[in-house]
Amino acid sequence: MKTMRTFMMMLAALLVLAGPATVWAASQLADLENALMCKCDDKCGKVLINCTCDTSKETRKTLTSKLESGLTVDQIIKQYVDKYGETVLSAPTKSGFNLSAWIMPFAALAIGGFGVRKVVQSWTRPVRTKKDADASGEESASAPPSGKFSKRLQDELDRLES
Amino acid sequence: MNDIGEFALLLALATALYGVVSYVMAFRSNRVDVYMSADKTPIIVWGCVMVSSVALWKAFLVNDFSLQYVWAYSNIDLDFFYKFSSFWGGQKGSLLFWTLILTTYMMVVHVQNRKQNVRLVPIALAVMMVITLFFLVLLNFSTNPFERLPVPPEDGRGLNPLLQNYWMVIHPPTLYLGYVGFTVPFAFATAALLTKNLDDGWIRLTRKWTLVSWFFLCMGNLFGAQWAYVELGWGGYWAWDPVENAAFMPLIVATAYLHSVMIQEKKDMMKVWNMSLVLLTFVMTIFGTFITRSGLIQSVHTFDEATLGYYFLGFLGVIIAFSISMILLRLPLLKSKNELDSFLSREASFLLNNLVLLGIAFSTFWGTIFPIVSEAFRGVKITVGPPFYNQVNVPIGMVLLALIGIGPVIAWRRSSWSNLKKNFTKPVLAAVIGAAVLFPFVPLTDKSEIFTYITFILCIFVMSSMLIEFRKGTGARMEAHGESPVSALSGMVWKNKSRYGGYIVHLGVVLIFAGIAGSQSYSTDVEKQLNIGDRFQLRGYDFTYEKLLVKEQNSTKTRVIAQLGIERDGKRVWTGLPEKEFYKGQNQPVTEVDLISTLKEDVYMILADFNPDNSSATIKVYVKPMVKWMWLGGWVIAFGTMIAVWPDRLEARRRTERLKRQEQIFMPAQE
Repeated sequence: MKTMRTFMMMLAALLVLAGPATVWAASQLADLENALMCKCDDKCGKVLINCTCDTSKETRKTLTSKLESGLTVDQIIKQYVDKYGETVLSAPTKSGFNLSAWIMPFAALAIGGFGVRKVVQSWTRPVRTKKDADASGEESASAPPSGKFSKRLQDELDRLES
Repeated sequence: MNDIGEFALLLALATALYGVVSYVMAFRSNRVDVYMSADKTPIIVWGCVMVSSVALWKAFLVNDFSLQYVWAYSNIDLDFFYKFSSFWGGQKGSLLFWTLILTTYMMVVHVQNRKQNVRLVPIALAVMMVITLFFLVLLNFSTNPFERLPVPPEDGRGLNPLLQNYWMVIHPPTLYLGYVGFTVPFAFATAALLTKNLDDGWIRLTRKWTLVSWFFLCMGNLFGAQWAYVELGWGGYWAWDPVENAAFMPLIVATAYLHSVMIQEKKDMMKVWNMSLVLLTFVMTIFGTFITRSGLIQSVHTFDEATLGYYFLGFLGVIIAFSISMILLRLPLLKSKNELDSFLSREASFLLNNLVLLGIAFSTFWGTIFPIVSEAFRGVKITVGPPFYNQVNVPIGMVLLALIGIGPVIAWRRSSWSNLKKNFTKPVLAAVIGAAVLFPFVPLTDKSEIFTYITFILCIFVMSSMLIEFRKGTGARMEAHGESPVSALSGMVWKNKSRYGGYIVHLGVVLIFAGIAGSQSYSTDVEKQLNIGDRFQLRGYDFTYEKLLVKEQNSTKTRVIAQLGIERDGKRVWTGLPEKEFYKGQNQPVTEVDLISTLKEDVYMILADFNPDNSSATIKVYVKPMVKWMWLGGWVIAFGTMIAVWPDRLEARRRTERLKRQEQIFMPAQE
């Protein structure tokens, strides 16, 4: 179960790393281009940074002038949300109902991880020792080999399977 | 010819209907005469669909604009090459193309199993025939590609310029070969459920089908990425568009199945799980088709006349309901003696691998449908774009990458700590050395770069654990048989095709991971407005804007090309020719990028804008490292899959013996 715990801890660490909004590009304009969708007439469905249509070029010019006028990235994004609605954002916000978009995948993974752990626990045969076999009164012939034979058998198996 | 094509579609529909009924009757009554009659239907249906397809291709090639579909997707000046691929450029033709592949597969299954696997094949063919029937109903009554225009126009509207790219000739057929291929495992799984033959016979029968379908879907996704890279002109290759997601999800679920099925083959465990994964893979392919053809989710890929949503939604509902009820009904028979020797075993690592793969599939599915969920619950439309998928799937993908390295070095049944220590020491050491060597060279200024650094370390770990596996096996053969390294390596791979083919596929996947990480994080770009003679620099390349060329290609297409001289260390290395193509009747020009592509990096040039009056141009250049690693990874995957599916003489002999036994069982029933 130690490996399972380590795996779950790794998963949790990755979740924490993935948690806060990631800023993939350095400049403010790139931040905006990443955060907003292109709103062209063709409904191209692309994030602004990925779009090459005429509308996207105009939008970039507008965004640059807004940044030059002293508006912050958040203020500009708010202006666009007020104008077009939440659909202009390239990803759900991390509040209210939209938070479920972010939580669900990791929650599903955690529940799945818990399920796998339970399944593996229930499927894994307990290792029977000689003491267990003696206690249950079974004949020594049915008990697992022990001592140097057990070690030899394990070594042979390791060699075969590696 | 159009009338023949249309009639052939109708005949295919009638024959498919007869095929379904007669296969079921033959199976239920065990009547050889009915079976013999039913047995002709796969070939007849395939023949009819082929005739219909040839008729449509001919209409494209001879510019028969009396057909609405040909008028909508072709024109006189269209290159021969693209007239051929216009066939699947729109909804109607692509459905016919899907049906052509499906019936071809059905015919191959029929021919392969003409005298064997008689317990499953009739029902499997009946299932495939039902699916064919669905598509034929659509083609005959809803989206007939042979629909006529009242007055045939002189010229057509033309193919979408974005589709006039050689990758669009290759990408859709490859993707369809993968998508449709999963119908075969689905049909056999369903047949096993219906006939209660729930041993691993259906798995053995469909193993290669699943592998080949997986391969085509994988390559289809990669080809699509290459198309996006060279055609869309934004420097990227994957945008997590709903339709891209639709092709990605079945690939991930099928990957989970390909791993977990090994546990069933080895230990006769997890029958319910494997059955569920096969059914889910097929459900995902139909879900993908539903997304593309419903118009429900906004995507750059959806077809113009996306009106088939309700048909596909209904079909999807029937498949899901049928699959769930069949599994529940057969649950007592599917129960297997599930027993693991240890948590430290390859079986357990495959369970983790399944968990992570399904986690990726779920997050992709959830992101794809979340706009609908949001609208249903809040009445607010939202967008789920690349930032969501990157933040969610990247960390999960890294766990998956680590598991690729861990799984193969853990023994089946039970691994001891000493064994683990022995197997992991070298790969971990290689990863630590790799991390130390890379550290001074990679920037670690933001989270993306940290993720990339970790990904590289994991790639080194996986690569070394794979190479050690190859070295160990080769060494053992050299010692045992006294062979040379080359013959020991080839002999080892040849004797264990599926194992080592799988390892080679893993190496390809590692290359793809490395390529994605490198190209996403270390990309640099610059955009410059230039007059003739202006120069600029980017990552050691010197660019000179030399001239602007305008070429009238034909009556519908004009090309504007910017010529760039590219020098490195004072030597001219390339003449860049990024261009914009203008098509008559199209609002937006199409960007044609120019590329210098090496293993180290791609220099990606775009003509963003131009002014014909003074010949000035706006040029955007990206330098993207390691993009080629992804495409190379695809070819490594192709090589690995080819090894894994290569026919095995021993397996063929076993199959012949099995066939003989089955014939002995079946013959008395015929009498």
